[in-house]
Amino acid sequence: MASVSEMYDVTWEEMRDKLRKWREDNHRNSEQIVDVGEELINEHASKLGDDIWIIYEQVMIAALDCSRDDLAWTCLQELKRQFPGSQRVKRLAGMRLEALEKYEDANKQYDSILQDDPTNTAARKRKISILKAQGKSAEAIRELNEYLEQFVGDQEAWHELSELYINEHDYGKAAFCLEELMMTNPHNHLYCEQYAEVKYTQGGLENLELSRKYFAQALKLNNRNMRALFGLYMSASHIAASPKVNATVKKANVKYATWATNQINRAYQLAGRGTKENKCSVKAVEEMLESITMS
Amino acid sequence: MGEVELSCLAYVKMYLHACLFPRCSVNGLLLSSSPAGGAVCVTDCVPLLHTHLPLAPITQLALTQVDVWCAQTQQRIVGYYQANACVSDSSPTPCALKIADKIAEQCNNAVLLMIDGGKMSPDYRVPPIVMYERKDTRWTLKDKHTIMLRQWEETRDIASQLLDSGDHSLLVDFDSHLDDITRDWTNQKLNAKIAELASPANGNV
Repeated sequence: MASVSEMYDVTWEEMRDKLRKWREDNHRNSEQIVDVGEELINEHASKLGDDIWIIYEQVMIAALDCSRDDLAWTCLQELKRQFPGSQRVKRLAGMRLEALEKYEDANKQYDSILQDDPTNTAARKRKISILKAQGKSAEAIRELNEYLEQFVGDQEAWHELSELYINEHDYGKAAFCLEELMMTNPHNHLYCEQYAEVKYTQGGLENLELSRKYFAQALKLNNRNMRALFGLYMSASHIAASPKVNATVKKANVKYATWATNQINRAYQLAGRGTKENKCSVKAVEEMLESITMS
Repeated sequence: MGEVELSCLAYVKMYLHACLFPRCSVNGLLLSSSPAGGAVCVTDCVPLLHTHLPLAPITQLALTQVDVWCAQTQQRIVGYYQANACVSDSSPTPCALKIADKIAEQCNNAVLLMIDGGKMSPDYRVPPIVMYERKDTRWTLKDKHTIMLRQWEETRDIASQLLDSGDHSLLVDFDSHLDDITRDWTNQKLNAKIAELASPANGNV
């Protein structure tokens, strides 16, 4: 089988830089990381200098994702040799145990880290991940709440908690988590849009109006967010169709829905140009939008 | 109740959908191009989501769009499939039951199909699926003998081939379509590839 460098005509430096970019962007493209990283480690280890250690870590985690225990083990051994007694390496060993579904042993690893360093957030989060993997959502939620009481600024944790609540259909609490995220990340259109989706799901006129506002806010922050555009269309249409709203509110929402329709149409016209491929999906949207009756 | 037949095309796309997003729960709709009445023939499927399955707006949007497309192409929505992120638990979630209920309102022998993640290895001898049907108001397990998958071994091999060649990344679900609306959630390209692989094995899938 051809090597990565042969297939894509890249140098080892480019491969190393690609790995760095994926690290910085926190990409979980594990199969690619394994392909590129394994070749770098096997063929160019001597040229990598001190970068090799962080690459071992990155490749190890990706290898666990792809069930490549052989590769993960190799990376772990190198790291153990270079950094004996390191908490960070201990955590990696724990992750390997998790991948092998040896949850009790993994928990022991993390507990021993926490004994030496009770503020080690990584170990605490791994323990919560184990609960999640075992399907123990109620416990995971409880532990994550406790964690957030101490580490109230941990964005990743707030987002994880919102996902757990959504899966438990506890939309009120999910909304609360997303409110925290929106407060600390006011320019993030994804949080606005997710919040709007949760509000829409909760239902009821008040929540629908909130959802419409936040879909609109998401669009202000990123006018190409299609989910927000569709969300605006749907929430405004539902409000306009509700018997509980007065004529003024109805009129306003009809306006919003119509605006959204036009934007959606434009986006699909642009998308449909030149490619035969998505003609079916474009047609489906056109028909759907034609069917809105604004009386 | 009645028999259900699952086509190669429907099975392969469902399977690839689950493989494309191994860490997420995924879901989709089962379609039929056969007329109503008699056995349910699932001839195609539309992969829907891999994020936030329980949230309403995108699900509603997808159902509406698929409805429209079905009317244009003489198909009907006859069922729903889901694969849970947690492989140890393949039971239907509340949102799965909700959507399946909605489908059953329009199609009285609708099926709910759960993919059993724990049994998805490429050489598994039986299809890794569990089917439910509506008896009174509850979804109950369907008798395995009423589920038919013609040419199972060939179907399974086609799925494995596409996985190995990396062609599963051609699959577009509704979520991916919303990320990039030039991508086609009706999957014409992938359908053609599957048909190509299926033709020597079986005249009509």
